[in-house]
Amino acid sequence: MTIRFTLNSREVEIDTDPLRRLLDVLREDFGLTGVKEGCGEGECGACSVIIDGELANSCIVPVGTVQDAVILTIEGYRETERYRVIEESFAAEGSVQCGFCTPGFVMAAEVLLSKNPTPDEKAIREAISGNLCRCTGYHMIVEGIARASRTGAKLWAKPTDR
Amino acid sequence: MAERIETSIPRFEAPEKTGGLAQYIADIPFQNMLYARTLRSERARARIVSIDIPQMPEGYITVDSSDAPASNRSHMIEDDWPFFAEGVVNHVGEPILLVVGPDKAEIVRLLSEIEVQYEDLEPVLTIEESIAADKPFFGDRNIMAEYVIEKGDTEKAFGQAEHVFEDEYHTGIQEHVYLEPQGFVAVYEDERMVVYGSMQCPFYVKNVLVQAFGWDEKRIRVVQTVTGGGFGGKEEYTSILAGHAAFASYKTGHPVQLILDRAEDISVSTKRHPSTCRYRTAVDDDGRLTALQAHVQLDGGAYVGLSAVVLQRAMLMAAGVYNIPNVRITGEVIATNNIPSGAFRGFGAPQALFAVEMHLHSLAEKLGEDPLDFKMRNALEKGDTTASCGRMHHEVKLPEMVRTLEHMSGYREKRHSHRKQSSRMLKGIGASLFFHGCSFTGSGEQDKIKAVVKLRKRKDGLVEILVSSAEIGQGPQTTLRKIVSHTLGIPVMRVVYKNPDTDRVPDSGPTVASRTVIIVGALLEKAAADLAERMHEAGEIEVTKQYEQPDYICWDQDALKGDAYPTYSWGANVVEVEVDPATFEIRITGLWGVYDVGTPIDEQVVLGQIEGGMAQGLGYATLEVMEMKNGRPMQANLTDYIIPTAGDYPRMQVALVKNSYEYGPFGAKCVGELPFLGAAPALASAVEHALGQSINRIPVTPEYLMEAVEHDHPIHPEQ
Amino acid sequence: MGKTYRPLSLDEALEMAEAENALPLAGGTDLMVQNRSWSGLPPYMKRPVLFIGHLKELQGVHAEGDGLVIASATTLTAILRNERIPSLLKEAVRSIGGPAIRSRATLGGNICNASPAADTLPPLYVLGAELVLRRKNGTRTVPVASFMQGPGKTVLKRGELLTAVRLPAMEPAITFYRKVGTRSSNALSKLSIAAAADSEKGVVTDVGIALGAVAPTVVCSPDAENLMRGRTAAEIRGELYRILDAYNCKLKPIDDQRSSSLYRLKASFRLILSFIGTVLLPALEENT
Repeated sequence: MTIRFTLNSREVEIDTDPLRRLLDVLREDFGLTGVKEGCGEGECGACSVIIDGELANSCIVPVGTVQDAVILTIEGYRETERYRVIEESFAAEGSVQCGFCTPGFVMAAEVLLSKNPTPDEKAIREAISGNLCRCTGYHMIVEGIARASRTGAKLWAKPTDR
Repeated sequence: MAERIETSIPRFEAPEKTGGLAQYIADIPFQNMLYARTLRSERARARIVSIDIPQMPEGYITVDSSDAPASNRSHMIEDDWPFFAEGVVNHVGEPILLVVGPDKAEIVRLLSEIEVQYEDLEPVLTIEESIAADKPFFGDRNIMAEYVIEKGDTEKAFGQAEHVFEDEYHTGIQEHVYLEPQGFVAVYEDERMVVYGSMQCPFYVKNVLVQAFGWDEKRIRVVQTVTGGGFGGKEEYTSILAGHAAFASYKTGHPVQLILDRAEDISVSTKRHPSTCRYRTAVDDDGRLTALQAHVQLDGGAYVGLSAVVLQRAMLMAAGVYNIPNVRITGEVIATNNIPSGAFRGFGAPQALFAVEMHLHSLAEKLGEDPLDFKMRNALEKGDTTASCGRMHHEVKLPEMVRTLEHMSGYREKRHSHRKQSSRMLKGIGASLFFHGCSFTGSGEQDKIKAVVKLRKRKDGLVEILVSSAEIGQGPQTTLRKIVSHTLGIPVMRVVYKNPDTDRVPDSGPTVASRTVIIVGALLEKAAADLAERMHEAGEIEVTKQYEQPDYICWDQDALKGDAYPTYSWGANVVEVEVDPATFEIRITGLWGVYDVGTPIDEQVVLGQIEGGMAQGLGYATLEVMEMKNGRPMQANLTDYIIPTAGDYPRMQVALVKNSYEYGPFGAKCVGELPFLGAAPALASAVEHALGQSINRIPVTPEYLMEAVEHDHPIHPEQ
Repeated sequence: MGKTYRPLSLDEALEMAEAENALPLAGGTDLMVQNRSWSGLPPYMKRPVLFIGHLKELQGVHAEGDGLVIASATTLTAILRNERIPSLLKEAVRSIGGPAIRSRATLGGNICNASPAADTLPPLYVLGAELVLRRKNGTRTVPVASFMQGPGKTVLKRGELLTAVRLPAMEPAITFYRKVGTRSSNALSKLSIAAAADSEKGVVTDVGIALGAVAPTVVCSPDAENLMRGRTAAEIRGELYRILDAYNCKLKPIDDQRSSSLYRLKASFRLILSFIGTVLLPALEENT
């Protein structure tokens, strides 16, 4: 099947088995290895990408279901100013240990902040409830996201808030 | 350097990891790479009668025990663990052979066509079955290791005892769930075998491969790639996988990638030893422990691995943080036809500390005393002897730690007020005291590892750290650099530290036993001090340092007597819970910890270990159920094996106390494993407090609590 | 490569479903996990797959009379964002997976996967949902309680698709939902209970209780409900034993990798009593 979608702001088209996992298409066909496989069951969130503005586990998305979708991976996101704020905040708060889960948390943070620019702790924990981390115990990740929402407030503020 | 070393700096690798740029083994492409997938035993114990392998198409091969060039055994302590089954399988999931080739779909198809004929043998699946077996499969009694640790005269003390208490405790299996599954790529080229992968101990892997291939060590090179977590799970099991990939690469002449699926990793890689511990203690009328007898039983699974050392550490911790004049600790690791048990953060200490803390907690309550008071009365102090007749050479800060802990948590008031249960939820609060012996048990550092570090001032003026320590998330990329930079008085950005490559670095030992800062860091501090005198010299300078055991340490490995560890880090935890009386779900509402880890080389790195260790320890205590059925785990994927999410625990309140250790770099001790240890007993004590129900096993699940409570107070007669 | 079909309209989908006996895939969050193969390989599907998640006719929530119609491929996230969805259903949907699952998973998928642990089913039972099943040549509506026959088994005929879920006008005054999961979030159910009731002047006018993951299909007991319908708080208090007995006959919990049959059984009783004791009776007493 021919599948067209927007990937990291580029229009792309591939001809492939639509049942292939989006994760494999991203990693193998596009070389986007920032999207990780931690479990292959949609449980850990290391494969998190953003599809049409929503968080998704690419390991359980058949590529046939992203026809005409807008997809953002960590590779596309890391070119943005919002990402730089998150990267700095994560570094400042100790959010990164082994790093395997981190890109997934970054994508979850982006989805959260784009919908709720000033989340409280409960909202942050809920937004990352589908991302597993085994190293940090989560607290420093929560603080990293909270810090990003403070220092980067203008970047996520809704037009009506400005 | 004006700044204190403790002051946190941003971690070196954080930006590349955050942006998805760090290359883990699955991310690295190799030219002409083939894939390998493992055919594994379906039986817990059987003889392999025959294996029907279909015709392999061109480009596809199988790899099995006959392909090990010199030895099919992965050497850890013993040589019992085969890379591939040799006509007999001893656990479900044991590797029988690999299918290797260029196309994954074809490999899967070929694997499905392979038929193995088994002749079933009687497996032993529990410690009891194993001990009772009349045809042992391991040695002559299915015992992998057994020891005795003795001090004073326990029989005499029990004869005179005023109060005697007995209890039995059980701890379950635990899986590491490092987020990055295990994986290797082996590349045979130019008569050398180069192995890249996710690992903690490059030289363990190298030494195993040298023996397996029977080659000169110069022909084997091991390179650690960015590693997504280890926790001990990538300490010894990695050698098996590296061997598999290496044999396949040697046979095909191509690079071969072997990466485990998560479900496969959960089902077959090493796990924490489940345990049964029996305690008997004597207490006099003044509330002092006069004698302690403990028997520690660990289930070692099918192959020994490091089980003997895990048992030693469990036994050495079995008397807890307490000063007891008469001690007799016996222990054994029993072989069963289950997944081989292996290293996991704590390495035997969690099992023993759970038991001793719960036992003392329980006996204090029976004596009508607050458990913390009873424990503190009996706590070790500087100068006291340990269970192995060693000495507490250094200041023990427990009294200060407990005072701080009580103040932070409101423990005392809550012990009273929670009992008065006014709200719908049942509240409880519990405490634990614990410690961890830093670095290798006994004479391991001196006799076995003999760590060597190198520090090289390069021509460009940068200083490079050459050690075999692996960054697995715990922070050495940052902490070891800080030690060197602060000693040399140069900016930390001028210190280089690459992931270890055995071609380039000396063997400074494995990344285990919480030894990286206290042993390797200390050697780097010494090397840097030497280098400091020579920084003005032109050209390249290299300083080498080798471990020398401090003079005060006295240890007899055969008798297991003396100073088991150079020093200890200490911890005290309080956990507060709410238990739902309808469903017995446990909600953790408060977490407090006070720790003595010597000087924290980086406060945020230390805090990260504390918070992460606590969460992993709480998972061990409540959520992480792995039940074996006919030698197979019932929870065999990440959907069913439950680890904590961000929604499960509140933030923890932490305090550190100062207690500089003279032989540690800048006074540092150890922290990697310590924070794991106190979680389970503090949690279990809190649940006991909430329910008024005795708890003697972990994980403490709602199912366990329901069974215990319903037994006495059924809500409705069953059908 | 397994056969796949991507229809451009619902009519085309129904044609293909009939002709090919294809397996409908909307979000794929269950199917992709159940049929997964080795990393790098597509899942191995036993039947040809029919993609339906993109069909506009299967998206959205709209009012119909006093009630609501939820198109079957509406994602769980979309359901949570819609103000008209009854709170009882929302609570259950909120408890499914995490944000990344809910953005792809659909109501129809959860229903048709027909797991005994499906979280949307108990609230749908209590709310009296009706399922619209369409074939190439016709439409029928079945009450949700008649749809699931057993684990993984539904009354769907060849070529039939679940296109919508109809909810009658209902925002019960008294609701109760508890899911006991394996952990606080991103968890499968060990058991769940959804309950709703209405009352007038201290008397129960209507009541429904449904339990999930404690039998091959959702457990309801009309006998138990009849012991509460038309009764006062005091009367219900006197009937507690008989009420639990009525559920006892229907609960068939099992031991599995998540929980034990004993736990599921006892927790069910306790949660039923919790609903009655802490929610229903106080509401009745307040209402008198």
